[in-house]
Amino acid sequence: MNLRHSLELALPGVLIGAVAGAIAGGLTLLVGQPSGLVLAVPLAIFGGLYGTLLGKGFFRPGAFGPAGLYWMLAFPVARLIQESLTGLGMRDGVLLFLAYQALVSVGFAIGFIWMHERIMPHWLLRRAGDNPRAAALLDSYVQQARRISR
Amino acid sequence: MPIRKLPDAPPSVHILGPTVFLVALGVGMGESYMWPRLVLLFGPEIRWLFLIGVTLQAVVMLEMARYAMATGESIFSGAARVFKPLMWFFFVVAILVYIWPGHLSAGAAAFEEITGIPWTVTAVTGLILVGVVFSLAKVIYNVLENVLSLLIGALVLGTAVVAAMVGSWSDVVTTITGMFSFGYLPSEALTAAWFPVIVGACAFAGPSGMQQMWYTLHLRDSGAGMGVHIPKVRGLRHAGEEEEMPSRGFMFDTEDPAEMAKWRGWRRWVTFDALLLFWGITMLVTISFTVIAQAAVRQNPAVRTAIQGDDREVALSAMSDAVASAGSAVLGTIFLGFIALIGLNATLGLFDSFSRGQADMTHNFVPGAKKVKMSYLYAGFLWGVIIFGILILLFGPADGPSGILDTLAFLSTFAMGAYCVTLLLVNNRMLPKPIRPKWWTNAIIGFGAVFYLGMLFYSLFAFGVVVG
Repeated sequence: MNLRHSLELALPGVLIGAVAGAIAGGLTLLVGQPSGLVLAVPLAIFGGLYGTLLGKGFFRPGAFGPAGLYWMLAFPVARLIQESLTGLGMRDGVLLFLAYQALVSVGFAIGFIWMHERIMPHWLLRRAGDNPRAAALLDSYVQQARRISR
Repeated sequence: MPIRKLPDAPPSVHILGPTVFLVALGVGMGESYMWPRLVLLFGPEIRWLFLIGVTLQAVVMLEMARYAMATGESIFSGAARVFKPLMWFFFVVAILVYIWPGHLSAGAAAFEEITGIPWTVTAVTGLILVGVVFSLAKVIYNVLENVLSLLIGALVLGTAVVAAMVGSWSDVVTTITGMFSFGYLPSEALTAAWFPVIVGACAFAGPSGMQQMWYTLHLRDSGAGMGVHIPKVRGLRHAGEEEEMPSRGFMFDTEDPAEMAKWRGWRRWVTFDALLLFWGITMLVTISFTVIAQAAVRQNPAVRTAIQGDDREVALSAMSDAVASAGSAVLGTIFLGFIALIGLNATLGLFDSFSRGQADMTHNFVPGAKKVKMSYLYAGFLWGVIIFGILILLFGPADGPSGILDTLAFLSTFAMGAYCVTLLLVNNRMLPKPIRPKWWTNAIIGFGAVFYLGMLFYSLFAFGVVVG
């Protein structure tokens, strides 16, 4: 039951990660190249992990700093997995490749948080009745909203 | 102005708010096409002008917010308080510049390349859809903020992932370091062929034309500062629920330390908006697009020749092909998808903003218009510009009659210099002393006026061309 509750919190992040991966490459399946799918999978997993950690209180709703650091590690790893499996090649070597991906991850993190903060509260409203973890997280969102509109 | 209480400021660090409109309008052709194009032609060092343009726009945004948050009035009302013809000037410029549906063409043409659907069909359908959605919405601001947030989120995520896949460390390093090559202007840039293009690109670094002025209306509708005392604009279907609009704005007690503490909270809130959300996201998207363009030229040197031409659609198509060759065929399609997305953002934002601005000026300054609800005026301008747009798309020149194109381009850039002067007058003459801008802010806005008007008139007198 606990696992299902955690997985439900992960769903918005999984969706955003998968869609982001699909945007750039998942659709490559249509032209017979599975490389995009390879990126969509780790991004979805890391996106879901973010939602789960948010539910456990590791991140604060809407806070960018910790989420930015999280993606600065997760995004290069996801890209490294993609490049390693598809063998497209890293022109500048692994270190510069990772440094570049970490730089780009800031943009990715802003987009991710921006989308997550739009989708998560609606999802929590739907699930709060059956899922105590969703109810607790929704409560922290409500408190945050009260603080903002006080 | 009557005195009322200033609401408490929200925490300064936030992610959602009215800046989404400015980002939606600001991240457009300048970021995705004009600046990447200039980088390919003159090198990344030319981006110092972009840095100045966007930073200037961030300060303009802060100063636009100053008057709107302190009074709940738009900058148009502020302009009318200083000198009413100034407000009518902006009223007329908005109609002349923004009723032409040309801004739909780049996005719709990109959509045509992806799907094969003729761009006029997409553009007309888009226009009708925008009208229906804004007419059915209970509170237009809320619907639009939600839709634009999702679209911009998708744009930021997508461009970051594509840049990650096609770019390299050296691309991003040259793009960023190029921004600090202050004063770099190669001799080709100072020619009749390219200087007007550079002036146009500077005007399109961030929000162009009157978009910053409209931001004051979105700020008010979001309930920021004294905007909380002004009713929200509703969709046509819910116009009956609209509360009566006050005939003027309000002011808070600037002698009360508690009120001034709240004011400083609001200034921190909008500063975060200007620096992280507006400046940061605009920079990120343009850096991503520049990296993509550099990667495109590396893959296919023919892109440089294509991009030198004046035909925007050909250049975008060449960039899309090169991006495709860097990754896969679908990456090219996705690149065009971003251009279509940018077009959709701009259309949604522009139609709402134009109608909001014209309705605000009509309601407050056309005799007898106060009897009509603001929501009806908004709907009138919205459907007016939509019907005119459809007629022009079907039967006329989308960008406007060719004989006045130069005049429209001139007016759009001139309006930016004019609003800098307006800001100086409004904020320094109409606001109480404790909340007036500091001298250095005035100096930056003054520099803005010289920057926009100076480049515009230099181009006009030295080369006989206004804006490229």
